[in-house]
Amino acid sequence: MSSERSASAVTFEVLRNRLVAITEEMRIALQSVSGSPTVTEASDFFTGLFLPDGSVASMGFQVSFQAPVCSAVIRHIKGKPELKVADGDMFVGNDPFIGALHQNDVQMLGPIYAGDEIIAWAGVQAHQTDVGGMDFASWCPKAKDVYQEGFRIPCVKLVDRGAVREDVLEMILTASRLPDQLGLDIRAFIATINVARARIGELVGRYGPAVVSDVMRRMIASSEARMRARLRELPDGEFHASDFLEHDGHTNALYKIDVRLTKRDDKLTLDFSGSSKQAPGFINATRAGLRGGVAGGILPILAYDMQWNQGALSPVDIVAPDGLICTAQFPAPVGAATVEAIWVVCNATTLAINKLLATSDKYRHRVQGITDGCMATFNLGGVNQYGEPFGLHLMDPIAGGAGAYASKDGVDAGGPITSPVSSIADIERNEQVSPLFYLHRRLARDTAGAGRFRGGVSGEVALTLGGIERAYALVMTHGAEVPNTAGLGGGWPGATVRQTMGWGAIKNGRPKAKAKFEAFGPKPGLMTMTNRDLFAVSWQGGGGWGDPLDRDPAAVAKDVATGAVSPDAARKIYGVVLEANRIDANATDRLRQKLRQQRVGKFAKSPARFTKAAPFAALSDALFLARDARGTHVVTRAGYILATGHTRWRKGAVAATMTKVPAEHRIALHARLAMTAFYCPATGTLLAVDVHERGTKPPDDIVLDLASVDALVGARAAVKAAAE
Amino acid sequence: MGWGWLLTFFIGTDVGGTFTDLWVAAGDGETRVFKTPTSADVLGGVLDALKLASDAYGLSFDEFCAGIERFGHGTTVGLNALLTGNAAKTAILTTRGFGDTLEIGRLRRQTSDLNEVEYTDAYLRNRVPPLVSRDLVIEIDERIDANGKVIVPLNEKQARAALRRLKGRGVDAVAICTLWSTVNPVHEKRLRELVRAELPLAFVSASHEISPHVGEYARMSTTAANAALGPLAGRYLARLEETLRKAGMKVPVLMMTCAGGVLPTKVLSDRPAFALFSGPAAGVMGSQAIGAQIGLKNLLTTDIGGTSFDVGVVADGKAIMRSEIAVAGADIRVHSIDVDSIGAGGGSIATVQFGELRVGPRSAGANPGPACYGRGGTEPTATDADLVLGVLDPGNFLGGRMRLDIEAARRAIADLIAKPLGLGIAEAAWGIREVLDNRMADLLRRMTVERGYDPRDFALLANGGAGPSHAWVLSQELGLDGFIVPAAATAQSAFGTGNSDLGFTAEASAYARIRPGAAPADDQLARLSAALRHVSAEVRRNLERALTVTEGRIRIERLLAIRYRGQTHSLDVPLSSDNFDLAAFDAAVARFETDYETLFGRGAAFAKAGYELLAVRAVGTGALPPPALATKGDEIRLVKTRPVIFRDPKAPVDTAIYTTTFPRADATVEGPAIIEFPGQSVVVPPNARAVADRFGNLHVRVSS
Repeated sequence: MSSERSASAVTFEVLRNRLVAITEEMRIALQSVSGSPTVTEASDFFTGLFLPDGSVASMGFQVSFQAPVCSAVIRHIKGKPELKVADGDMFVGNDPFIGALHQNDVQMLGPIYAGDEIIAWAGVQAHQTDVGGMDFASWCPKAKDVYQEGFRIPCVKLVDRGAVREDVLEMILTASRLPDQLGLDIRAFIATINVARARIGELVGRYGPAVVSDVMRRMIASSEARMRARLRELPDGEFHASDFLEHDGHTNALYKIDVRLTKRDDKLTLDFSGSSKQAPGFINATRAGLRGGVAGGILPILAYDMQWNQGALSPVDIVAPDGLICTAQFPAPVGAATVEAIWVVCNATTLAINKLLATSDKYRHRVQGITDGCMATFNLGGVNQYGEPFGLHLMDPIAGGAGAYASKDGVDAGGPITSPVSSIADIERNEQVSPLFYLHRRLARDTAGAGRFRGGVSGEVALTLGGIERAYALVMTHGAEVPNTAGLGGGWPGATVRQTMGWGAIKNGRPKAKAKFEAFGPKPGLMTMTNRDLFAVSWQGGGGWGDPLDRDPAAVAKDVATGAVSPDAARKIYGVVLEANRIDANATDRLRQKLRQQRVGKFAKSPARFTKAAPFAALSDALFLARDARGTHVVTRAGYILATGHTRWRKGAVAATMTKVPAEHRIALHARLAMTAFYCPATGTLLAVDVHERGTKPPDDIVLDLASVDALVGARAAVKAAAE
Repeated sequence: MGWGWLLTFFIGTDVGGTFTDLWVAAGDGETRVFKTPTSADVLGGVLDALKLASDAYGLSFDEFCAGIERFGHGTTVGLNALLTGNAAKTAILTTRGFGDTLEIGRLRRQTSDLNEVEYTDAYLRNRVPPLVSRDLVIEIDERIDANGKVIVPLNEKQARAALRRLKGRGVDAVAICTLWSTVNPVHEKRLRELVRAELPLAFVSASHEISPHVGEYARMSTTAANAALGPLAGRYLARLEETLRKAGMKVPVLMMTCAGGVLPTKVLSDRPAFALFSGPAAGVMGSQAIGAQIGLKNLLTTDIGGTSFDVGVVADGKAIMRSEIAVAGADIRVHSIDVDSIGAGGGSIATVQFGELRVGPRSAGANPGPACYGRGGTEPTATDADLVLGVLDPGNFLGGRMRLDIEAARRAIADLIAKPLGLGIAEAAWGIREVLDNRMADLLRRMTVERGYDPRDFALLANGGAGPSHAWVLSQELGLDGFIVPAAATAQSAFGTGNSDLGFTAEASAYARIRPGAAPADDQLARLSAALRHVSAEVRRNLERALTVTEGRIRIERLLAIRYRGQTHSLDVPLSSDNFDLAAFDAAVARFETDYETLFGRGAAFAKAGYELLAVRAVGTGALPPPALATKGDEIRLVKTRPVIFRDPKAPVDTAIYTTTFPRADATVEGPAIIEFPGQSVVVPPNARAVADRFGNLHVRVSS
């Protein structure tokens, strides 16, 4: 064994690659053995290696929400000496009030020893379709407290010095409606931790425990250094974003996730104090969920080119008092946290971070509208076509549209960016193993958030039962009346979720010519469905970027040709006039000018409101900073001055508030929501579209520290001058 | 005037992106390798290589062709056509409601071309469009369910009308992929008749034949790729075959397939997708042939080129296979030799960011190439490191055809690596090698340890230009006592195409769900037996078409894909006959559980879950007479000595430099030494010895 204490630069890189390979091997072991489609297809799981203090050093390419989760359990174990940790032990847990995002996320942790000392922990976690509770799939819309939801295991030793405690395992499996599936996954967990132990053991044998520990710590330090360097490239300021979720399982109330992002030097503070109080239903998140949602917003956007671990999250402080919808206190129900409050925390965080990035010339091209603003749930349970009890958690709904970038359209049915390798199963695989029969799975027209670059259109499915008469279906979502996929820079949000049931609409596997469809609200909940009923759903399209009237007419014509956009929407949203799929350029120009004028009434012309000063920085590609004798202004492309001396520009723009959105956007609004569009008074260019509570004014969302902008611009100029 | 006209020739050819390689074993026992630049039309490069060879034997082109006993061929022409979007304009016919299958691509299509450091960057997604544009995907009114029952009959009128609308749109190929055609192909078959009637010149592929797997996305991608390649590959192979036949060649062109066997073009012409990855497959087949020559059954076949490090595994004499490969933004489901790859090669770029050394996957490629190429590259690469370490000779690179600029290499490493890390130049150069070599070792571990193998049970074969100079480190990393440099290491794929037996694989899906503790029902057994008979017959029929003598030449292996109920990953287990009875089921399950525990550890098996039987496969081989063996060889000549760094950058070792083209049997060199071949340098570390065998393979072994 080596007696080195620290790794050279070369050894560090060799071992860093090794540890990444080991984490990847853990992932493959888990996915190969698991029986859960949430694991094998959607990658809703986590594998990682942790320092003894619980900091995650290396994690696989999976759902980023999960990054901070196992850490809390390791700290919990450390705080309980009575657990008597020994070599060969493995602990199982799923308590959201300790570390899990919600009860379905069963986690397992095993210490890795070098001699008598714990050198690291291996952790694994995966979504289980059913962990008991009052309703199938453990998402219980009627639950009023956590006792009515799935079982909770704080942290129990399941493997004792290498021997599985079969009695404990039996107790856990007995509480699930799908014990075989859960059993297979727990075996997969054991295999995964064994892989990590064997591989780390080999490394320790060769390089010594001190070097391996040093490398793990430096992996974290490396990501932290990279993250801090990135933050220093961005201007200081305060950024605001909010997003909403509707219906708590009991009533269709509206809840807000509100985040104020303060960026100073190389630090971020996210303050959620303005969020709604905790709900009486299963949509809440605990503080563990809040941390996960924040990680899901930070990692894909700011850490896209660095290793995902604790270091990338270290520069981020979270401020949130107890008792909010994202810091729910015991015994609040939290069963659907991942797809409800946590998901929306991630949306709001992502939005705030993108507003920050949009102020940077270096990063603006990768600023993105919101992707997959919700995950509409369709769960099915009963007895399948093989006569077996079954439970299905349909993964198709992750195929929502991806947000548009400031430089290109979003990906159609792009799926979540919070998870790099999620996929959905083939129709044939779903129909083979589950009692499903699809009528279609396709891209849904007019669902993309409009913009100069449009969001991705969402997917949609229609299905009935195949091979069985009836089953229980659980249908629930947020985002049926909340446009969660916000656009940026004047881009619109994508369409809201539409979920309908055609009761008796199917005969012999074929849709009837005439059938009545019931339009569901956000959470119709548990129901009986038969092989004569047709469930049809389309998900949220991605948020757009920039004013749709600035979109290249040729791109609109192509969208019409492929069916992404209807001719009606092309005309009303994009102002593009098509005759037999060909662009009428003159008519398009005239229509666009007319639409711009309609937005503001009369174009503002007063010379005092304009400046000729060239912009020295930008907030988007429609809003700029320019300076003249009068001071520093926020100006539009036309040089129209919206604000002077600060960046709170909304007051200077023309605002149009709506409580009902024109039909072509396919956006339904909750009774307590409104949307406001802000236009350039001089040109009618759309500058921002905000979703906010009815009767309130949307807050200013970008308050830059102008001195820091100057410093950055100056530094860039100096670098440029030096290069020349 | 030589005696070449008396000779017969076994030939293997491989068309790569840059070079076309030709390997010849002549009847006199001598083997040679020829290389020419690949031409844009592919055919020209192949003919150039043949002309080079005929000149070398003092023969006319026609005389040489007349002497050809076997002509093996592999080409990336199909793959390149797909990657560059130059394949035939293709339409797809599919089930109403599912025309967006390629667009949605299971969400996998958009990330299928991302490498290991790109995964986390969503901005890079969806760089590659679907194989067929959406306006050429036509939805047909029809639907069959999972049991093969027709739910919506085929609307022939609508299908015909849609096909007529395709006329005049320049469509050269049509792929047909409807839901559940693998269970009941009646609609696909009828649609094919309609396509033939309405678009008689179009190349048609039906998914139940090209990729008979449950799972419509990969099946549709594969069928679309096959259709898109059909007209192109057919034309190319017809021209090649005709040119050679006119010149006097009497044997057919035998194409390398992804699955590793060769097939005559007539068998392959309607399924070009079977040959999509022929180059990497041929490399592994070449190594397998060497293993057979020298009696080794467990091989790690490695190939290090300019940009990538490719690994295949041969276990117990058989190449490890995979069923699906992501390429050109699509999942292609063709039974293939598993060749895994990472971005690590001679051109891999080293950088220092935030005080950390990273090497690859970014590559300098051939242009500008490594700093030492003097073509404007300023970033240090692995090749620059090798030059600084003394592994490469600046005056004898690529057989002296290219002079390397050692000062440029030193400068790049000094400025961009050594200074920021506070290291000496030699130390930095060794660091680049160490990081790169360890990334390669990580891939070798992944290919073995993860599959339950111990790498120490394998022999490492080093191929490609840079393989033989890195192999000593790789073998030490894996705990092996040495490695083997094949005689044709720089043209291993060409060697493979000339040394493979015929091979044909047929598959059929046959789903059966077995509850815990239960046995399959009679109808399930009957369905599986029927599927087995079908695939065996298909294999036999195609191999019989390819062989002139069939007696005793055909061997068929049968496999069953099985998994625990509810899993997505399955394992293949062998079956002994076409008759799938209860005893066969019991044997298959027992084997599955054993293999499963080997892979995932003791206690991982979970019989309580029950089983799913998914598909059957017949793998046939048709034995071809082996080529003549190499008996001649060249001296290994000592040229000079120079200092070379092995492990300790502070202590360069005086190293003997040898040169040879083809080592003679039993020729021996003691390390430390470097043996320079045209196109490769074999590094023999201190305390090791290199010995040539009678086939010209060099065995490097550490003395114990």
